[in-house]
Amino acid sequence: MRRKASLVLLAFAVFFAALSPLMRWYAFPRLAKIPADQYQDMVLEAKGATLLDYGTMKARKVSQVTIVQTLKGDVEAARKVHRATGQDVVVWDGLSYVRGPDGKMVSEIPERYIFDAHSQAPVHAAGEMVDGDPVKRTGIEFKWPFLTQKRDYEYFDAQTRTTNPIHYKGTRDFRGLTVYYFEQTIPWTKVTFPKVMPVKGITPESVAKTGTTRWYTTVRRFWVEPVTGAPVYGEELHKEELRGGTLLGGRAKVTAFAGDVKMREDYIGHTVALVKHNRTLVLLMTSYLPWGFLTLGVLLLALSLYLEARGRRPADPEPAEAQAPQPVTA
Amino acid sequence: MRALIAAATGLVVAFALVLTITAMGTPTGKTSPKPLLTTVPAHP
Repeated sequence: MRRKASLVLLAFAVFFAALSPLMRWYAFPRLAKIPADQYQDMVLEAKGATLLDYGTMKARKVSQVTIVQTLKGDVEAARKVHRATGQDVVVWDGLSYVRGPDGKMVSEIPERYIFDAHSQAPVHAAGEMVDGDPVKRTGIEFKWPFLTQKRDYEYFDAQTRTTNPIHYKGTRDFRGLTVYYFEQTIPWTKVTFPKVMPVKGITPESVAKTGTTRWYTTVRRFWVEPVTGAPVYGEELHKEELRGGTLLGGRAKVTAFAGDVKMREDYIGHTVALVKHNRTLVLLMTSYLPWGFLTLGVLLLALSLYLEARGRRPADPEPAEAQAPQPVTA
Repeated sequence: MRALIAAATGLVVAFALVLTITAMGTPTGKTSPKPLLTTVPAHP
């Protein structure tokens, strides 16, 4: 009976011991993925920003500029790319909609970003674009990979349509979460005018005819939770200028936008709570379950060996039969 | 020999379980009907 139990325990010990590395290195990369149907919105604000008044063509201080950023997974497009490339991908349609203090549109930039659902590496397929212009991203955007490392990453900048390093600048604590801080500086770069301009009748083509050009610089900062790779907070010191041409009335340049763009407080709280929840799920697959299974396997193996050893020990000698008392002769 | 069979059984079941779960994959769902926002949401 003991031998049978030890064999069953041995089978379970091997089962759990094998499950440990399989879970970490086989199942995790195949199961931990960004859902193809994800829908996410984010509100960022730039208080006390400088904004160009297109009526007077002069920069003015405004109380607040709001940026509403939406990311929406296109499941059908992801399936199509999967059929073509064999990769599990996520197709995000994004919109960065900027509103002035009067609620009017300042700019709106649509994007399509296609990436590997697990590694977040960009995948090139038809439809990848920024503001209608086809692009080929070579770096990440919006989100870091699961199990983010303490190193620089390549990050795509939608304004310049270029990929540049975003530097790891240290580990910080952000509202009870250990996060990696990343920073990227995009120097002054000439960029295209958005396809949709804030004033009716003005098009990028009509502005181009005046000789005026648009320039942009930013310092981008992200606080990234390393287990999930999700930014829990982000900031941008963003500046845009119009330079030269007849549109500026002889001036060399005018500020089109300048502001410190920060995530709205309620979105920070929401993001931190969401990331804390998702972090537990990722840790379950990368740490809690693999180590738990391995420990269980070792314990079961020890128990199995113990029972086997007990089963093989020679039986204790039978106690001698009590002899009947014999009469004693005096 | 019986110990070897028991260990092999545990190994095969572990592989079968993980391969089955990963083959099932993750549900893809449907594209959200919600639009890309051009208004400021009141809350997340």
